[in-house]
Amino acid sequence: MSVTTNVAEKLLTLPESSAVALQIRAEHYFDVIRGILDNFAVKKELDSIYITSTIPSQSIVNALQVLEIDMSNIYFVDCISQIMMSMASKHEHTIYVESPTMLENLMLKVEYLTKRTEGKNDIIILDSINSLAIHNNTKILSEFLHLLVNNLRAKKAYTVIFSMEEYRSEDISNMLNIVVDETIVAAGE
Amino acid sequence: MAPKVDLSTSTRERCVTGIQGLDNALDGGIPRGNTILVTGSCGTGKTTLSLEFLVHGALDGETCLFISVTEASSKLLTNIIPYDFFEESLIKKGKLIFVDMPVVYERLGLNKLEFSLEEVDVLVRAVADIVKEMDVKRLVIDSITSVCYRLRTQEKIRDFILKIGATLSSLGCTSVLVSEISPAEERYSLFGVEEAIADGIIFMGNLERRGDLLRTLQVVKMRGTQHSRTKYVLDLTSAGVLLVPLLKGGSVAGG
Ligand SMILES: Nc1ncnc2c1ncn2[C@@H]1O[C@H](COP(=O)(O)OP(=O)(O)OP(=O)(O)O)[C@@H](O)[C@H]1O
Ligand SMILES: [Mg+2]
Repeated sequence: MSVTTNVAEKLLTLPESSAVALQIRAEHYFDVIRGILDNFAVKKELDSIYITSTIPSQSIVNALQVLEIDMSNIYFVDCISQIMMSMASKHEHTIYVESPTMLENLMLKVEYLTKRTEGKNDIIILDSINSLAIHNNTKILSEFLHLLVNNLRAKKAYTVIFSMEEYRSEDISNMLNIVVDETIVAAGE
Repeated sequence: MAPKVDLSTSTRERCVTGIQGLDNALDGGIPRGNTILVTGSCGTGKTTLSLEFLVHGALDGETCLFISVTEASSKLLTNIIPYDFFEESLIKKGKLIFVDMPVVYERLGLNKLEFSLEEVDVLVRAVADIVKEMDVKRLVIDSITSVCYRLRTQEKIRDFILKIGATLSSLGCTSVLVSEISPAEERYSLFGVEEAIADGIIFMGNLERRGDLLRTLQVVKMRGTQHSRTKYVLDLTSAGVLLVPLLKGGSVAGG
């Protein structure tokens, strides 16, 4: 089974309002994204809100276009482009947050998008805990995760938090363990 | 007759602001009949918040009045039209009313730069008459600071706010007085008396944290309800004012 289908199938076993950590190896990055946005979210008819603090949303948009994935139900909260000064083209489904240290604003944009997409359930993808950890200390990041996940649970949304295998640390594992229901390892079989 | 407002119990009827985060912070809304101050330096969102408070009231069938002192009310309309939840019919049906204070002054013949105590009474009665006549349930005066400039003395300001507060409360009208302060101000109102008399204070400001500037809101006081005293971060959006608690992270300077 490919990584893409494997991730989608594992997510399909979860009840709504689940929060999961998804352990990913860099080489599987786009397979995982596809498994979530194209397979899982489409099957469950979810609106997707993709928070990126890792690479500019435009890079993800470009990749999704190459993969011919329908983007009408996918929204981005991008908190990395502005500090990387890479805002060449603005996608109409993207909201920018000035910096990955503005965690409250990140939450506010998610709140805004969940309001705008009312009527359908949502999946929120946080890409990634590791890049947020570069810009924020553990205490504030834990507080953020806790608030975000609980808010989203109350809205019956799925939360998927990317955790990059290559940057694993004890701090990050501890932080995730407190808020998630389950950890899924993305791998082919 | 307007319903009597019971000030004695802690379970007073609420005027639901319709701003979800704020209603949560207020444990359900502003106690009905309260006169509160929405205070902050320029550009912090006072007008936007107050307008949204009225739009939600109007959508709920209450008659809502915005008395504009500083800006022409026609200009304010352009602020609320982008709201996802705004309906133009609210204005046509007279649920959302805009009045320019300078017009009121003119009609009352109040053309002096400083009002006397008698003129303060005339002004309070004029506002009360509009509220009574139209059965206004939510009132915003933006800003009270501009009115206070015409009163000059602490004594007259106290008189004005006490009288207008008591009158509006007896009419069952929940009122927001917008107050302007400079960013460095150590208090919540320019003349100092407004904050002491008001039933509630919502403070809006900016907070700098490690180079990021955040918009904040804090309920400093609110008679008649158990309220949160947490500082919130806010966003002004087409879906209205959104709030989340300010993250403390153990180490926030100046928070
Ligand atoms: N829906 C919205 N989306 C984005 N920005 C908004 C929205 N509504 C208002 N703003 C911005 O927020 C800023 C502050 O708004 P507002 O006029 O409510 O502040 P204020 O505290 O009343 O300021 P002043 O003291 O100058 O009267 C304005 O500059 C406006 O551009
Ligand atoms: Mg204003």
